[in-house]
Amino acid sequence: MTQILHHLRGQFSHLIVPAGLVAVLLLICAFRSPQLFSAVGAAGAILVSAPLILAAMAITPIAMAGRGGVDLSIGPAIGFINVTIVTWLTSWGFESPVAVFVFAIVVGCIWQILLASMIVFVRVSPIIVSLAGFMILSGVNLVILPRPGGLAPDWLSDWGYGTELFSPVLFVLIAAFVLWFLFQRTAMFQHIRLMGADEKTAYTVGININVVRFAAHLSAGVLTGLAAVCLTGLIGSGDPSQGNTLTLQAITALVLGGTSLAGGRGGVVGSILGAIAMYLIFVVLSSFDFGAISGFMTQMSYGLILVLSLLLTLVATRPKPAAV
Amino acid sequence: MDMQRQNPLTAIMSSDHKGIFLGGALLVILFSAGAFLVEGFASSNNIRSILLLAAFLGLAALGQTMVALVGGLDLSIPFVIGASNILLAYLFGTGIPAVFCILIIAVMGLGIGLLNAVLSYRLQGQALIVTLGVGFAVVGAAQIFTTLGSQYSGTVFSEVPKWFATIASINGKTLGLPIPPVVIIWALISGLVVFATNRMRRGREIYAIGGNRTAAARLRISEFRVWLLTYGVSGLMASITGMLLLGFSGGGFAGVGDPYLFTTVAAVVVGGTSLLGGSGGYGATVIGVLVLQVLTSLLVGLGLNYAAQQTVFGLLILPMVAIYARTPHIRMQI
Repeated sequence: MTQILHHLRGQFSHLIVPAGLVAVLLLICAFRSPQLFSAVGAAGAILVSAPLILAAMAITPIAMAGRGGVDLSIGPAIGFINVTIVTWLTSWGFESPVAVFVFAIVVGCIWQILLASMIVFVRVSPIIVSLAGFMILSGVNLVILPRPGGLAPDWLSDWGYGTELFSPVLFVLIAAFVLWFLFQRTAMFQHIRLMGADEKTAYTVGININVVRFAAHLSAGVLTGLAAVCLTGLIGSGDPSQGNTLTLQAITALVLGGTSLAGGRGGVVGSILGAIAMYLIFVVLSSFDFGAISGFMTQMSYGLILVLSLLLTLVATRPKPAAV
Repeated sequence: MDMQRQNPLTAIMSSDHKGIFLGGALLVILFSAGAFLVEGFASSNNIRSILLLAAFLGLAALGQTMVALVGGLDLSIPFVIGASNILLAYLFGTGIPAVFCILIIAVMGLGIGLLNAVLSYRLQGQALIVTLGVGFAVVGAAQIFTTLGSQYSGTVFSEVPKWFATIASINGKTLGLPIPPVVIIWALISGLVVFATNRMRRGREIYAIGGNRTAAARLRISEFRVWLLTYGVSGLMASITGMLLLGFSGGGFAGVGDPYLFTTVAAVVVGGTSLLGGSGGYGATVIGVLVLQVLTSLLVGLGLNYAAQQTVFGLLILPMVAIYARTPHIRMQI
């Protein structure tokens, strides 16, 4: 029994800090902005936070796969899918939900395969590949759509009202969670963790690390596509630069969630909690009347909480001498 | 490895300085292309503006190079630049003597750098995020501080002393020469840094830590002290860049640092410093900075906008890195 508890603690120790943070923030929200707990408030919260939640989920497997891989290009990649949905896809006449979802997921996967190929075959370090990807795509997005505009397909724009709790956005999120938990049960997922924790060991025990790295990126690609669809539903149009801000936010959420950028440790539940915490920080801060400085307050709080949570995670997960 | 066929080309490609050779060649090619394709490209005015913008990027990328040499990255640079920029504008408006204002900001920049060092040393492997978090906090705090009691949010207007503005203005003159003083300052600092990192003990310690920290520890090199040095330099240089940019533009704006988030990394990488630590140096970064600025000027001359420039930058990074900073195959790492 104690062994099971010990095992569970080892599995979930990285979740202590983000779960505590979310609990504290929810408590503050209960006093400061109780409307969050009404059906309409919750529906709005889900709608607004969905792109960030999915983006933070998307970069999790890549960070877990190690080599200091953090996908800086996630934001522009989401932006790219967003602007191509409203410009190319609508002009080609493919506006059905199936077409949009398939397009978004396929483009997300193709992008991630390109990144993974550069990392695996050209052997450039992941951070440089994703940095170059950030610059390339954020430029390309502005070329495709120089300023915010265009219209999302009608069914997708309707998501943006966000008045119903059981909205399509919620179902997309649930679908993403279910897909992830199925993926987590596969051997491939364990291989990603092992490779992230110690790539040399993974290679020596005969795991095909190249295939594993591609798998990590592919799972990220699927989630990137879903994030892009949710973002398009949220803003109802195309925006070439909206996605770029998602990069830093998603990385913040990832780290708040306790996933180590050194690889091997962490999980998608943490990233989800991290993204929710970031949204709640925003809600709590907007409940105070800071006037002109509210944007700066949010930025400063993200920074401080990021550093503090890193320090806390360090204390909470400090490797202890093995008990057994 | 290629002992049998040691022709000059392979000798260059296998040397430690191939980044400098390749960057230099690229620089010459880009410049010739510019002179050929764009009218007025090789004019003294254009060269002066390239050098001026290169000086800002070069000063900002100095810290990034130092940090990259020990295998880290400092993402707080753009935020420290922005914070120094508006805080200096704010201080100039308070009536404190200008020299003190500048000193205060420089000390602040150094302090932020040292804070980054302490935090990222404690949190090994998370330097990227630590510096990002510190950067967010710093620029947020600076904006709150300058916005309180002012109706403009994010921008600060004040009188910049004339002598300070001349240092970084395009028409500035150094001892009668038509070169902006900031370019000369950059050249002097570059020389100093290249000397210090190649010839002085402290400089060599940076390479020792970046190359193999276990071996460096055996040589009784204090890793913590190297961390303090590199991140301290990075914070200081970022704040100096932010202050000089105030002299250049005349108005304080926190977003002024934003382009430097990725361009400093790009300059380091294009120059040939490996982000894994241990190889490269500031001389390489200077070449990288010049390549990026000449390329920017060429692209602007060809009528490409900022978006297209970014794409070209991104496309340039990958082949450059693929040429000189490939990670060894996993078979070789075991």
